[in-house]
Amino acid sequence: MTAAVVPGTATSTGAESGGTGDARELIRLRGVGKDYPKISTGTDRLRTLAALLFRRRDMPHFRALDGIDLELRRGESLGIVGENGAGKSTLLKIIAGVVRPTAGEVRVQGRVGALLELGSGFHPDYTGRENIFLSSALMGLSRRVTRAKVDSIVAFADIGEHIDEPIKHYSSGMVVRLGFAVATALEPDVLITDEVLAVGDESFQKKCIAWLEGFLRDGGTLLMCSHSMYHVQTLCRRAIWIHHGRARMQGESFDVTREYLTYHEEKNGKARPAPRAEGTLPRIMSAWTERGDGVRADTFRRGEALVLQGVAYEPDDRPPVLLFGVVRVDGTSVYGSHSNETGFRPARLEPCQFGFAVRFEALALLPGKYRMRVHTLDAEGLRLFDTLEVEFVVTGETRDYGVVELAHAWLPGRGR
Amino acid sequence: MSAPGVSTPAAPRWGWLLLSFTRRELLNRYAGSVSGLAWTLLHPLAQLAIYAFVFSKVFRIGVPPSYPNVGYVTFMAAALWPWIMFSEGVQRAMGAIGANAGLIRKVAFPHRLLVYSAILASCVVHGVGFLAVLLALRIAGEPIGLRGLPIAFVLLVPYMLLAAGIGAFLAALQTLLRDVEHVLQVVLTILFYASPILYPASLVPASLRPWVQLNPLAWYSERMREVLLHGSGFVAGDLGIGIACAAVFVAGLWFFERLSPHFEDFL
Repeated sequence: MTAAVVPGTATSTGAESGGTGDARELIRLRGVGKDYPKISTGTDRLRTLAALLFRRRDMPHFRALDGIDLELRRGESLGIVGENGAGKSTLLKIIAGVVRPTAGEVRVQGRVGALLELGSGFHPDYTGRENIFLSSALMGLSRRVTRAKVDSIVAFADIGEHIDEPIKHYSSGMVVRLGFAVATALEPDVLITDEVLAVGDESFQKKCIAWLEGFLRDGGTLLMCSHSMYHVQTLCRRAIWIHHGRARMQGESFDVTREYLTYHEEKNGKARPAPRAEGTLPRIMSAWTERGDGVRADTFRRGEALVLQGVAYEPDDRPPVLLFGVVRVDGTSVYGSHSNETGFRPARLEPCQFGFAVRFEALALLPGKYRMRVHTLDAEGLRLFDTLEVEFVVTGETRDYGVVELAHAWLPGRGR
Repeated sequence: MSAPGVSTPAAPRWGWLLLSFTRRELLNRYAGSVSGLAWTLLHPLAQLAIYAFVFSKVFRIGVPPSYPNVGYVTFMAAALWPWIMFSEGVQRAMGAIGANAGLIRKVAFPHRLLVYSAILASCVVHGVGFLAVLLALRIAGEPIGLRGLPIAFVLLVPYMLLAAGIGAFLAALQTLLRDVEHVLQVVLTILFYASPILYPASLVPASLRPWVQLNPLAWYSERMREVLLHGSGFVAGDLGIGIACAAVFVAGLWFFERLSPHFEDFL
């Protein structure tokens, strides 16, 4: 098996198992839509009741989902992104069998483990241990099988003696821990998670992600809804963007998340003061990335040349000191450097404006999404005045781990 | 049961889930109280004491001569427990969907199990109470035929099917129309006094008697007394009423299943 969880991997896990494409298809949605009844008045309620009983369609409603097509095969991982209220949770609930779609066809094969929001299916008055049994019964496990798994569930949840206390005394993080531990212990064919990684603490998140990576490596199938583009990118190979109940985009998780983030930037950008006006402090007027041939781009193949271009403003008309830093989209620092180090002097384009460029020959970054941060500093290189961020994506296939490729060679060892 | 095309997991596991729900119903009923399950026995006993005092001492309703040597308490108890079983089962079943909204919103399972477990829990609690009270009265010297006990409990089966059918109907309706629970309170009170539970059917004016006989609760109240205090066996009417109860159950469940996929929309 290959490390399919590493972003951009082209190899598909589970291919070895053979079989026809159809047999491996665990989830198939065709034109799925969901109308929720509007029941603000008593008349609405009566009309809805009549419509449901006589299978008519004329009830007052609003459309939560419309015309969703989706397939998920064994071993695939799909991320669902979208704004609050876009219909992501409804979609997951339809697949989990909790909500019946109003239109379209849903086919789900195999056992589905669903973690829909906080404390899926837990009873607040029950202790953690009792809830383990209840949840497993709901997921279709016998008491005997559950008993054999309880210890590993308790160990994974790692909530100590709280396991014998009622759930209502748990913190939200503890509930999620237990929920995740239960859902994963039941070895579902498809795991559905809705924003669960957002709640646990740092170390539990890492544990969950490690588990999910192993799950995917072993051919597990994941359907994940998250507002963390980082998680979607690292865990999912494909993604779907739900916008106002419709699929706005579906494809590689990197492409979808990039579009989605761009959409948000544009939405927020309207509020940002557009032209970077002159002032009394050095600032970055503009910055962008381009290919080696000078064509602007924000997507680069691994190993390609990347050129950062920018214009800085210096009120005293002295060449400014510049600093760039590369961070992963989750904020992990990768590398940074100072223009002072090499005694670099930007080109004076016109009074107070200086052009600069940084060329990265053969980009060593592994596939993923990154941010280039450009800063202006004072002449002494001590005070940071301004920051501008440019996002870019590195594409490609890799089985490597980490952030950058370090030049290396495999050699026969000396043995001592 | 589930959306067309959505695969439903194998059926056998639902049996264990039903047991789990029923257990939860029983244990949670008095969760947080010190005496726990004891309350479920004490509550009907208190009702029995109050009614016995008011109706036999204040209103001076006597046991009809067809039941010689039977005390008023015994006469009433024979019909009161099945009634409590019925009315509490219906009430709990009606509220079962709302009470488990969190589960319904997040997990796929047959919702009718919640109705069944409400009825089952009521049967277990008050079945045990009924048995205990009957045995206690017998020890106290009341003429309760032990031979009639199994017959009485067999008769309770269609009676509880009736409760399940009505409960399922109301549970589905209540999910959409929250008025149901308020109406039910009133209807149950009317039914309680309209059925010969606290008084013998013979006290009902002759002109109204055919109406009372249409009421299956009246039928079972009378039958319980006949079986337990007269040593009566099964009669043909038991089968007829039993079939009618089963029909109500099927109809109620049909209604419930029709609406159950949409519960999540309303919770």
